[in-house]
Amino acid sequence: MTNDGTRVPDDDSQLVHAYLDGELDPAHALVIGRKIAASPALAAELEQTRALRQALREHLPRRTLPPHLRSRIEAAVGIKRQPARPSWQALAASIAIAFVLGGGSTWALLRPAAGDRTAAAVLDGHMRGLMAPHPTDIKSSERHTVKPWFNGRIPQAPRVIDLAQEGFPLIGGRLDVVDNTPVPTLVYGRRLHVISLSAIPDESRGGSPAERRSINGYNVVSWRENGVSYWAVSDLGAGELETFAQLFRKAPAG
Amino acid sequence: MGVGLSDEDDRKQFAGIVVPHLSEAFAVASWLTGNRTDAEDVVQEASLRAFRAIGSFAGVNARAWVLTIVRHTAYSWLAKNRPSEVVAVEDFLGGERLTVQCTGGWSATITSTPETALLAKLDVNRLEAAIAALPLAFREVLILRDIQGLEYREIAEVTTLPVGTVMSRLARARRRIIGAVRTDDA
Repeated sequence: MTNDGTRVPDDDSQLVHAYLDGELDPAHALVIGRKIAASPALAAELEQTRALRQALREHLPRRTLPPHLRSRIEAAVGIKRQPARPSWQALAASIAIAFVLGGGSTWALLRPAAGDRTAAAVLDGHMRGLMAPHPTDIKSSERHTVKPWFNGRIPQAPRVIDLAQEGFPLIGGRLDVVDNTPVPTLVYGRRLHVISLSAIPDESRGGSPAERRSINGYNVVSWRENGVSYWAVSDLGAGELETFAQLFRKAPAG
Repeated sequence: MGVGLSDEDDRKQFAGIVVPHLSEAFAVASWLTGNRTDAEDVVQEASLRAFRAIGSFAGVNARAWVLTIVRHTAYSWLAKNRPSEVVAVEDFLGGERLTVQCTGGWSATITSTPETALLAKLDVNRLEAAIAALPLAFREVLILRDIQGLEYREIAEVTTLPVGTVMSRLARARRRIIGAVRTDDA
């Protein structure tokens, strides 16, 4: 390999990295964009760095948190986990009831307590998001950016769909906590309103129709499909929030 | 360890502020210490520090706050267990080439430079080895940006470096990896 060692000012070459990372303001981005176009050395650095970033993002195995470490830490600070799902005694009882009542009503009998607790936790996350300078940990309207962000932070990244065409643009995502478990939350906009959509793994099978709640003036719409229960929270009107839920459910998998 | 006397509010705060970021804390600690066992020790120690300091969290960026504590704990751990890793950054800056290597035919085929092609099919082990070989000061910036996806200003907050230093260290870290790939292949 022959290197001719073409020299470019180091500042410019650093700015190529900031340019690629989207960290430059528009004026500087414009200037460095022109320099890249005019300089093969800068263009090469841009391309190599882009390839490196992709390799780092796609090829490296994730360092996932060992579950025993999390339990140990929670025990050390005295956090007691609430069972995320009904205990098996409750489950056994519900099966007995289901046996009497016939299929379909088990879920409805069990749900209220757990559901209200989840709704309250999801609303907490929404409020915390609104109080922070940004309602998101990752700010992007690009679903291919938001989805990978969740990888490595939680076991399974949620389904991410942009509904900008339908008037609900994706703003970003963040992690919330429900039952001491981190859950992915997508953040959407609707005019000046913010919608938080939390996706909580749910082992119960099958889907459920959307259900509406109202807590302290906030509307909550929840439903279940494909092993995930979804919780949409907003100060939007219940009708619009349900429209959002329908659009999300109808959209092709992302 | 005895922190059982703290009240329920602190636990709630901890569950809301620290627990969601434990996975990321563990990933960062793994990259800084180089192995999972040491990372567990660091994350546990950092979590207890965070719990004791939970009242001092300013309520802005929980993720950056948690990672700041993890990084600090990792540095203390390294200083105690592997002091040779924690050396002044200036030692690395001396002989470093600040130019971009450019081979003959690149201007014609910029989108498929040899390095770009190499990186695309790079063996994971080689990539990990190249990251592990980076001096700590460069490695941490690369990890926070390219693996964990933090913004420059967040990295500046976590590392207490000026944003300009974050930018220059990141550029150097990336060039070193690209350089290592080139050398491996030669």
